Amino acid sequence: MKEEKIKLNVTEIENFYYDITRCIRCKGCKWVDHIYMPGVKFSTRCPSEKRYLFDSYSAYGRLKLAQAVIEGRLDFSEKMLDAIYKCQLCGACDVGCKRNLDLEIELPLEALRIRAVESGKGPMPQHKQIAGNIEETHNRFDAPHGNRQKWLPADVKPARKADIVYFVGCSASYAHPEIAEATARILNAAKSDFMLLGSEEWCCGYPLYITGQIEAAKKNAQHNTEAIRKSGAGVVLVSCAEGYRMLKVNYPKMFNKSTTEMGFKVVHLTEYVDELVKKGTLKFTKKMDLRVTYHDACNLSRLSEPWIYWEGTRGEWGVTNPPMPRRRGTNGIYQQPRDIIKSIPGLELVEMVRFRENAWCCGAGGGVKEAFPDFALWTASERLEEVKETGAEIIVTGCPWCKDNFNDAVKKDDINLKVYDFSELILQAISL
Amino acid sequence: MSISEEAYRVMEDIVGAGYISSDAVDMEAYRGGVEGYGASMGFAKVMSRLPAAVIMPKTTEEVQKIVRVCNLFKIPFIPVSTMFWLAQSVPHVEGSLLIDLKRMDKLEIDEEHMYALVESGVIYSQLQEQAMRRGLYTTVPGGGSQVSVIANMLDCGFSPLNFRNGFPSRRLLGIEWVLPDGEILRTGSLAFSDDPFWGEGPGPELRGILRGNAPGWNGSFGICTQMAIKLSPFQPEKLEPSGISPHTTLQLPPKRMRWINFTLPDREALINAMYKIGEAEVSAAMTKVPIFFRVVAKSESKEDFWELWRKESEESLAKFHVLRVLLIGYTSEEQLDYEERVLMDIMGELGGEPRRTKPTDESWFKNADSAGMWLMAGGYISVEYCLETIESAAQQGEDYATLKKQYTPPLMADYGDPGWFQSIEIGHGGYFEFLIFYDPREDTNRVDHFYLETAKLNIKKGHWTSFCGSSQPIRLIGPAYGPNFHLWMMKVKETFDVNSLSNPPVPYEHDVFIDRAEWMHPLEDWKDPIKDWKDPNME
Repeated sequence: MKEEKIKLNVTEIENFYYDITRCIRCKGCKWVDHIYMPGVKFSTRCPSEKRYLFDSYSAYGRLKLAQAVIEGRLDFSEKMLDAIYKCQLCGACDVGCKRNLDLEIELPLEALRIRAVESGKGPMPQHKQIAGNIEETHNRFDAPHGNRQKWLPADVKPARKADIVYFVGCSASYAHPEIAEATARILNAAKSDFMLLGSEEWCCGYPLYITGQIEAAKKNAQHNTEAIRKSGAGVVLVSCAEGYRMLKVNYPKMFNKSTTEMGFKVVHLTEYVDELVKKGTLKFTKKMDLRVTYHDACNLSRLSEPWIYWEGTRGEWGVTNPPMPRRRGTNGIYQQPRDIIKSIPGLELVEMVRFRENAWCCGAGGGVKEAFPDFALWTASERLEEVKETGAEIIVTGCPWCKDNFNDAVKKDDINLKVYDFSELILQAISL
Repeated sequence: MSISEEAYRVMEDIVGAGYISSDAVDMEAYRGGVEGYGASMGFAKVMSRLPAAVIMPKTTEEVQKIVRVCNLFKIPFIPVSTMFWLAQSVPHVEGSLLIDLKRMDKLEIDEEHMYALVESGVIYSQLQEQAMRRGLYTTVPGGGSQVSVIANMLDCGFSPLNFRNGFPSRRLLGIEWVLPDGEILRTGSLAFSDDPFWGEGPGPELRGILRGNAPGWNGSFGICTQMAIKLSPFQPEKLEPSGISPHTTLQLPPKRMRWINFTLPDREALINAMYKIGEAEVSAAMTKVPIFFRVVAKSESKEDFWELWRKESEESLAKFHVLRVLLIGYTSEEQLDYEERVLMDIMGELGGEPRRTKPTDESWFKNADSAGMWLMAGGYISVEYCLETIESAAQQGEDYATLKKQYTPPLMADYGDPGWFQSIEIGHGGYFEFLIFYDPREDTNRVDHFYLETAKLNIKKGHWTSFCGSSQPIRLIGPAYGPNFHLWMMKVKETFDVNSLSNPPVPYEHDVFIDRAEWMHPLEDWKDPIKDWKDPNME
């Protein structure tokens, strides 16, 4: 067998041809890990497959579509775009496959969208609109760039120079100022000095990257990376799961680097607070007699492992040389948020049936909320069915986009449930 | 070839517009050929066809109507549930309707009478979880816990747990079946009541006809829509799931369940141990551990596997005689203690040494992760599975290993490993499976040759074969094992499937493959006893 040169580079889908053609339809991408299988109810992990049923809406089917594109049998028709964009790219399939076959799934699906955009057919019109907003105003909402720091309360003073820079993100800057404010107050309470990038902070690029608009995403990544470096911060603190994954994983991925080569460390608020609590720097003093369930945001959990750039060869038996590093979702941020909840007096943590790496996506990611809002809402409603079975009064998550989508579903389904971002929960517990 | 607009519209009326498609993108997602069990082997490459349409019924009544429409419009159809055996789950003739049964996911358990009623879309891990919550259990087969219970029970269904709970086919109770012409047949007590608790009758026993021989009719005999399966009583404690993917496992209750791996001095001692454990009627399962399985279990990645595998040799294999035994205190902790003492006595006599064994189960209760078999080489198929004595299971494997040397490469070198065998039905039988591994990116013609040559070897040496209904050319197997069972199969098939629409050309599909695959012709040295038979749907 002749050795082939390959790279972990999503701009060329051919890099993943081996993975695409080695699927065996064990459907690890569909089912919850069988060890944790709960029965028929809540037994699957892929929203798209469950909602649309045809194999073209599953990871195993989409790999076939990717193969057909590479082999020239299909182009990016309207139906094809429907099949590849009705997917949150939530990574559940990727982790499931790596339980069994250790194939790359998320990466070829990302690469397929990039190829769709390159072909001039993708992404969906709503995604193009958002790209236009970001180009114009550096945020996805088309809000004035000058308002990015409007959330900052008068009594919170960011440092001019600190080791931590808080990357606020579009959602907390414009749509959910309560998250930004809570995060800032938590840092104040912990006596952790932090800087803001202010007008130098642009959209993290998630809505661009995840819809295949990689050139535009790269532009934002370059700008933000430069701004962070100029700030001199060693730590970038993020309260948004999408921003976290972009800065930690997708920026180095786009730059053909590893996370460790970026020159700064990316930390989610839950990681940071967990460390403070364990050191005793931050104490939860307020008792909260509540039953809470935790939703693992995809971008904070199974998709958040550090990126390791790799290039090499694949030879006999498909063996890679040097050995290709695998990101299997094992080391995502799972335990820290749970430890925080457990350390808040009075809070009772009740897990959903599908938790941690098997969690069902909230439905908002991957450009779905923008292009297919009904599907996003359906996905959230499915999750809330699971929440109901826990008897929880609160669902807490580390991603503002999850919070939004759950809130929309709570309203639609008329459910008595509060949806919290993690920052809000922590702020309440430290009782300022 | 497409399905007529009229027929499509009628079927759309049956299931609703959201559950039928003939769109080219949707069809492409069902392409067979290069992936899955037997990936890139000749059969998959030569025989796979894209479906003309895919339909997803929800009820038996919908299935019946669809099959009747197929008969009216002469549309070939293939029923599928999870499509794990991809080469057999895609159509083999143009213009076929793929009937995807995934929406049929009803699962009910009658705890008192210890059976489960499942529809076609239910998979083993779902059933196992629900059964265990009620103190019952079933066998999760080697194919994996992700396979459809019904499809697998009709096909094979074997696992080491068959040591205790026996042949899968013995656990079939009432069955509901849409025959190839759309008639509904209910067997056992389902024929005269809503309760499927009993499997036999009324009248002549039909389960054998419906199932065919292992590996079954592969969808060429209509569609089984509901099946009741006998469950067995289990021990009462919970198997606790633990770990984060990919390192997830079930923690076994230490006083109730225990796997113990033993190293035995030689092949004879290992086989003797299997017989003696059966005679003593202790243990819940036992399986000889192929060295390949062990290295797979120790590997963190494909690269890791090859590094470890290359350290093995014919010498290390010759010394590797490991028997894995499962003890379960079904009735009490004392049962486990007693069985362990008996087991240790047997092993003491035979020179068996217990090895350190993890107090967990990753495989046989809820996972049966056969998917790992593909990881290391990329291509895998079992060329035979045999149900004979323990001794013959071992012997057949050794004969295969000898033959295999001529075909290595392209087959993966395995130092002469004679495969995987286990004791079934309390030692009254041996189950053998010979797994081969290859790189599907290489020329696989010689893999096809080896596959066929194992059938000839079976005939020459008088070995058992499970491939009497499909998976090998029936024109070869029929006269040798019959002398005419293949003719009977065809007559039965023609009687029930008058229009030859239910997954044609099964059970003739390997004959058609060999006719079509030029590289197989030099090996076609058998007399064709039913040369004139032509499937009307073959182009």
